[in-house]
Amino acid sequence: MKTALGVSILAVMLFPLYWMLNASLLPSTELIQPEPTWLPIHGTLDGYRNALQSQGGHLLTSLYVALGTVAVTLAVAVPAAYGLAQLGAPLGRTLLFALLVAQMIPGIVMANAFYVAANELYLINTPIALILADSTLCVPFAVLILHAFMRGIPAEIREAAALDGASSLRALRSVILPVSRNAVITASLFSFLFAWADFLYAVTLTTRDEAAPITVGIYRFIGAHISDWNSVMATGVIASLPVAVLLVVAQRYVAAGITSGSVKD
Amino acid sequence: MKRLTAAAAAFAALAVLSACGDGAGTAKDDTGTLTEIDYYEAAPQNTQLPKLLDACGTEVGVKIEHQQVPRAQFMPKLLQQASARTLPDLALVDNPDLPQLAASGGLVPLKELSTEGLYPSIVTAGQYKGDTYGIAAGVNGLALYYNQDLFSAAGLQPPKTWDELTAAAKALTKGTRYGIAFSAVGTEEGSFQFEPFFWTAGANLKQLDSPEAIKALTLWKDLVDGKAASRSVVTWTQADVNDQFMAGNAAMMVNGPWQLPTLNAKQGLKFGIVPIPIPAPTAKPVTPLGGEMWTVGRSNPERERKALAVLKCLLGKDKSLEWSTAAGYIPSNQAAAAALAQSNPQLAAFVEEVATAQARTADLGTDYPKTSEALFNAIQSCLAGGKSPQEALKAAQASVK
Amino acid sequence: MRKLAFVAPAWLYVAVFYLYPLATNVRMGFQDFTVTSFYTGVAPFVGLRNYREVFRDPAFAGTVTNTVLFTAGSLLLQFGIGLALAVFFKRNFPLGGALRSLLLVPWLLPLVVSGTAWRWILETDSGVLNRTLLNLHLVSEPVPWLASTDLSLTAVTLVNVWVGIPFNMVILYGGLQAIPAELYEAAQLDGAGAWQRFRRVTLPLLRPVTTVVLTLGLIYTLKVFDVIMVLTQGGPADSSQTLTTFSYDLSFQQLAFGHGAAVGNLLVLVAVVFAIGYLRAERRTP
Repeated sequence: MKTALGVSILAVMLFPLYWMLNASLLPSTELIQPEPTWLPIHGTLDGYRNALQSQGGHLLTSLYVALGTVAVTLAVAVPAAYGLAQLGAPLGRTLLFALLVAQMIPGIVMANAFYVAANELYLINTPIALILADSTLCVPFAVLILHAFMRGIPAEIREAAALDGASSLRALRSVILPVSRNAVITASLFSFLFAWADFLYAVTLTTRDEAAPITVGIYRFIGAHISDWNSVMATGVIASLPVAVLLVVAQRYVAAGITSGSVKD
Repeated sequence: MKRLTAAAAAFAALAVLSACGDGAGTAKDDTGTLTEIDYYEAAPQNTQLPKLLDACGTEVGVKIEHQQVPRAQFMPKLLQQASARTLPDLALVDNPDLPQLAASGGLVPLKELSTEGLYPSIVTAGQYKGDTYGIAAGVNGLALYYNQDLFSAAGLQPPKTWDELTAAAKALTKGTRYGIAFSAVGTEEGSFQFEPFFWTAGANLKQLDSPEAIKALTLWKDLVDGKAASRSVVTWTQADVNDQFMAGNAAMMVNGPWQLPTLNAKQGLKFGIVPIPIPAPTAKPVTPLGGEMWTVGRSNPERERKALAVLKCLLGKDKSLEWSTAAGYIPSNQAAAAALAQSNPQLAAFVEEVATAQARTADLGTDYPKTSEALFNAIQSCLAGGKSPQEALKAAQASVK
Repeated sequence: MRKLAFVAPAWLYVAVFYLYPLATNVRMGFQDFTVTSFYTGVAPFVGLRNYREVFRDPAFAGTVTNTVLFTAGSLLLQFGIGLALAVFFKRNFPLGGALRSLLLVPWLLPLVVSGTAWRWILETDSGVLNRTLLNLHLVSEPVPWLASTDLSLTAVTLVNVWVGIPFNMVILYGGLQAIPAELYEAAQLDGAGAWQRFRRVTLPLLRPVTTVVLTLGLIYTLKVFDVIMVLTQGGPADSSQTLTTFSYDLSFQQLAFGHGAAVGNLLVLVAVVFAIGYLRAERRTP
């Protein structure tokens, strides 16, 4: 019963994606017919044939950049959130304030600054430039989320560890991190998604097609097939499939957290 | 958790390693490679241009690194490169943007290249304060496409005047099909599509609320209000307009020659092309000049010399004709254009219009972008917001003062 | 200071990555910045002129109203629906986990692509939404979702809600997970009904997460750019223009970079106000 309700919710939420899938299987001119075609019965796989040939490399670049972004983000955000939430590090509130305001800096202004810097450092067309730039989308978010969750962890847990002689760093690693696993996974997940979907930095910091991630790849592909929407939508479907699988796998970790009880862990 | 951290650390290490191996800044003293940038997002332009560049690069003995960015990212990207002093050696910029870029001082005046035999309007569009900074290999303009099957079934002739246009559009509107499609989208494209009507009516961009301007906007408003054109015109780009025409949702459309390769590839579609209708048989048609211009960015004398040599090759008779044919453009050389119109009747209407076309920046120079914005906003508030043409254009004129 | 060692990297990060762009933008707001300035690096200071001119721009007032409506509407619906879904998915049922994670799939697509799908759906004449409404006799003639100055803001808000629901749901779901099950059991023993348990246990304990989700949601909504650009470009006639798209439009359509920067700085100022609000709310929670 609940599964049925869940499926219907999902169906409504994912309808635009179904519409894309449908479009990817239809010849282009059927898409704007006055009477919409609900099912791609006269489907064509041409779109997929076209898309598969061109986007593989971009997918790998995106995967690489997104994972790198997660690593950089966690490396900065986890210690910071822990220091703020559990240790009461000085100037903590000022840091939160700075991170909140930093997110409002217009993306294009950030992009301009990054381009100039990356150019000086010979980092144009490198994944490291994209990873660092994308991490600026994620660090404020990750610190705030981790901070919000870690504040909820009773201080006694950490103090107990300290009594056992554990240093602050060890307390973080062996007590706080396992307890806040859900928050860490949430922060990682969104960092991954922010980096995966970034377009502005990708187009700013790459000049060669080989170095471009999937968002830019799709955009170029749209251009090359502007009146051939089924190829474009097929690329969209192909681009999202591998990561959709990843998401389903990742939710197992969250599910494991549920059964063991997050705070008691 | 530990495994996750370890994996993350490994990825970070990999990222650093790969960065060391792949360092690729643009070294300005290297003269073996030139950089090029353009915003051709669609076939066939974006597939043909690299071929031409490669050919000209080989001729000059230099490698050309080609880069294509979306239209919306083109200006931001050029400006970033300007502030880092890494402007591309060759950039293909939209002609209304040229005065702004030339004013910056980042472009090399193209003194050594001859503009003889080119359409005067094209030469003007490439000039800033008396010097030439941009030259187009091919240009474009707008004309009226019509679906021949629908016209002959209704026993209609392609329209020559505004009255005939309105009558034909109304007569051909039937069921889910509209008589005409055009783009009134909220970007420069919307202004570009409106300007043929605006200018041919006798209006001037310096006075947006003149009676002539009101007359032109009334024509569009009557088409939309009379349901002979979809209300969606305010959301359609020129590419969308082409899709609507190809799908048979519109019997006529306003569009440019760059759609020809796509239209010709569509089976079972028979279409003709005539110049944009004019208000009265005696009116003088004026259309906006469309198309991109080659510019050369400042670097060092050796690179600039090579870039000019490549440009000379691209603008040469053979290459510009090859480009125009493949990409659906009109050669900017008058003699070449006339020859092409002879051999390719599809282009005749466009060649006729380009001869009398006007550069969008001719009157206003660097002030054009602001006025264009006021103009497309007026069109939109009239077509989609229920304002009368008078009100809409009056507000537009007030906003540019 | 041991404690400082944990936050030092974050401070360094802020200094390296945000300080310079922010300073640039603040400075640009006081300059007559043109295309030429990018190349020469020179731009005359003009005091508050950019701000005065932006305030006087006929499009400004409407843009502020749009921004408020867009932000409030998006936030309310995203959060409400996100919370409802989080509570729903918290109950264990077959395939629940898989369904929950699939809700994130829209996030994997660049908005260029999903936005285009939405454009077809919302198209006046051939869009599937209008077809469905017509066939169900809910409307008598096609609704010009994106093609009317009255509806475009509603349409982009709804699409933005669609984009934002997964974010709200996943984070709120994570927050729900952190609430100890014993509290619910205790409340049940005290005879509290489902609604009472939600109000007395869930909402208060979720508060730290709620505050952060709403604050982040607010900032992300103010920053929304792609959704509007793909669907309406801020049109027709500025009817769906928000401060963010307006700033871009001033800079890159009108090439008035000083004006664009001034609007950007106004947004930063809004963020400052809400950041202070966040810190206050955050201090009040236990």
